Amino acid sequence: MALGRRLPLVSDRPAAKAGLKSERILWPERGPGVFEQELESIEDALMTTTVEKAIAWAQSGSMWPDTFGLACCAIEMMSIVSSRYDIARFGMERFSSSPRQADLLIISGRMTHKMAAPARQVYDQMLEPKWVIAMGACASSGGMFNNYTVLQGVDKIFPVDIHVPGCPPRPEALMEGIVRLHEKIRAGVPPAYEIRGVAE
Amino acid sequence: MAVVPTTRIYEGTRIPERCPTILDVDPAAHDLDDILTVNFGPNHPSTHGVLRLIVQLDGEHVAGIEAVIGYLHTGFEKTMEHKTYWKGITYPERIDYLSFQANELVFVLAIEKLLGLETPEKATWMRMCLSELNRIHSHLVWLGTSALEMGAISMFWYAFRERDMVLDLFEMVTGVRMHTRYFQVGGLAEDIPEGFYEQAREFARHMPRAVNDYEALLDRNKIWLERTKGIGLLSAADALALAQSGPMLRGSGVDWDLRKAEPYLAYDEVDFDVPVYPNGDVYDRYKVHMDEMRASARIVSQCVTRLEELRGRPWIADDRKVVLPPREELHTSMESLIHHFKIVTEGYLVPEGQVYVAVESARGECGCYLVSDGGPKPWRVKFRAPSLAALQATATCVRGTAIADLIAVAASLDPVMGDVDR
Amino acid sequence: MSPAGVPGVVETVEAHGETTLVVDPARIVEACTHLRDAEGYNVLVDVAGVDYLGWGAKQVAGYIGTPAGRDIHAPGSQGFERVPAAKEKRFAVVYHLLRVSDDPARLRVEARLDDGEEIDSVIGVWPAADWNEREAYDLFGIVFRGHPYLVRILMPEDWEGHPLRKDYPLGGEPVRFSGEA
Repeated sequence: MALGRRLPLVSDRPAAKAGLKSERILWPERGPGVFEQELESIEDALMTTTVEKAIAWAQSGSMWPDTFGLACCAIEMMSIVSSRYDIARFGMERFSSSPRQADLLIISGRMTHKMAAPARQVYDQMLEPKWVIAMGACASSGGMFNNYTVLQGVDKIFPVDIHVPGCPPRPEALMEGIVRLHEKIRAGVPPAYEIRGVAE
Repeated sequence: MAVVPTTRIYEGTRIPERCPTILDVDPAAHDLDDILTVNFGPNHPSTHGVLRLIVQLDGEHVAGIEAVIGYLHTGFEKTMEHKTYWKGITYPERIDYLSFQANELVFVLAIEKLLGLETPEKATWMRMCLSELNRIHSHLVWLGTSALEMGAISMFWYAFRERDMVLDLFEMVTGVRMHTRYFQVGGLAEDIPEGFYEQAREFARHMPRAVNDYEALLDRNKIWLERTKGIGLLSAADALALAQSGPMLRGSGVDWDLRKAEPYLAYDEVDFDVPVYPNGDVYDRYKVHMDEMRASARIVSQCVTRLEELRGRPWIADDRKVVLPPREELHTSMESLIHHFKIVTEGYLVPEGQVYVAVESARGECGCYLVSDGGPKPWRVKFRAPSLAALQATATCVRGTAIADLIAVAASLDPVMGDVDR
Repeated sequence: MSPAGVPGVVETVEAHGETTLVVDPARIVEACTHLRDAEGYNVLVDVAGVDYLGWGAKQVAGYIGTPAGRDIHAPGSQGFERVPAAKEKRFAVVYHLLRVSDDPARLRVEARLDDGEEIDSVIGVWPAADWNEREAYDLFGIVFRGHPYLVRILMPEDWEGHPLRKDYPLGGEPVRFSGEA
């Protein structure tokens, strides 16, 4: 029997009209990607208990980022707080300037050798569990600056969970990184310092 | 109106005597045992990026201050000496990352000045249009973050709503939201898409209403007025001595805007006002920013009108020694192929000489000093950072203020650390 | 139109619509004071250092030529880009001046120095020179006599070497399969 009315399309939804064009929203029939499939196998391998799953759900549901904006990526990081890309949906709009109250360090921008010492202090002041997102090409690998003063990748001074490419990454790209981090946590993957260890 | 005002905001000079950028604690005014040294470290929500201020406080009052910069020194100038001019255009954008096209523009204008290259009219007007949109973008981010730091938190969301509209325009034309890399030596990288004219005109119509909304929220708000009026005074003489430019200078009463005084691109053919306010405090600089947004919207609509008349005209110069030939020609013309190869691999050669070109970016005079040795890579590029000059005025502006006012003053200086540290 | 009567001027160069006064570094403060007071250049826009080590050493030969055309009859060039004339001194400190008034004007003042030679600071003439001179010291190693606080500004305080000198390497990590840095 044919439907008398047109089913509401995803592209009619307010978020899509406002400009948000994420694959997840516009393509609901898309099945799990490679990343999600890998997570399923990790979940089975780690066999997280219900309590741990609940803790992971709570941690990822309200992760407070630290205001560590360095350069241009910081502006795009600010724009995910803005109303179009709204990070408050993930419970993350409370950016904490004090690292002692923050869970997530989003390194947005180029890290120089002079800044590496304060950055490491900030990382050390954060309480476990803590995660790090290296946002942008400069934080991930030094970006277009291969010279005497830019650290070639922030993972030279502390372990990074998610690298988000882009120069600067679109707000949607950063959100994708954040969402993947949430999925990693919920799958039971431990934070990067437990996997890779932290150099002293 | 005379360029430099005759009325004085304060008598004499407030620039510290020993070192202009360091305010020393005056032992006559403060008991040295009461001084507390506080570090506004590089990681701080209210400093615009990685600025470190070492502040000496006597209670709530700022007795001494010193700014430490260099936490974002990326070595742009040295890196650009190793890149050909074409590849080098991506670097200046990231220097002042809020008004990125101003840096691109100044670098491209410097190269064109050395080459003696003329750009087509369409490119000139589009460059002007995008520069003004970029000025609006930069002022919106300034407004959102400054108001956020001073406590007017909701301004952030309103300002960023319009900012996303500007970025949509950039994305439509260039493909990227920020760091557009659209200005090429000789003109623009690509033609202007059709939908741009309508959307830009609609935005230019919408923007003054948005500025009215912002002023409705802030202009008569008692807290905002208390926090900005009479704070951070800088007289015209001190501002000129400290090489201020842009809103810092115009907020102190000096009628100096490079777009009017030394017009570049086609600024002498558009009609706009330059706001100048006499009091030299944070409130006047805020008003300068707001009025500049309105003026920029006016310029954008005039540019769009002119660009619609120039539809179908070339957007980049024809000089094949410098500009890549269109791709269709590569299939048929041998010379085009050779030129394309040489320009891409070796790069075009810029004659020997040195030039200094300045444009009015959102922060003030953004300049590029370019020294060429006749080769394909620049010998020395130096970018004159308006934010560096603005930050040098910190010690002068915070005399006699409290620590909360220090935040307001730092916000009104509008420093972008990428610009300061380069 | 270049200003006349400026003390210490060695050479005047006019190119691309800009005037450059090459001044003897020993008389820089005198020259700058004259320019500020008599000629009205009230704003010091920028102080830049330039390192000319290796200037003119590279043979710049190009098939491309300049947009003005390739003139095979220009003497000494054979149609190629002429190699620039060598410089006698290694460093140049370049001051960009601006006159903000009803009659605006710009000027460039250049002072040429050897490695190790010092120059007087113009901070007494324009306070805006402060951080710009510190930057020139930090990145090139040019010492400005009379500067109240000449320490490193952009690099960390304990950095060794002056990065923007031509004999200082670009640094960074080597990138495989990549010809340039």
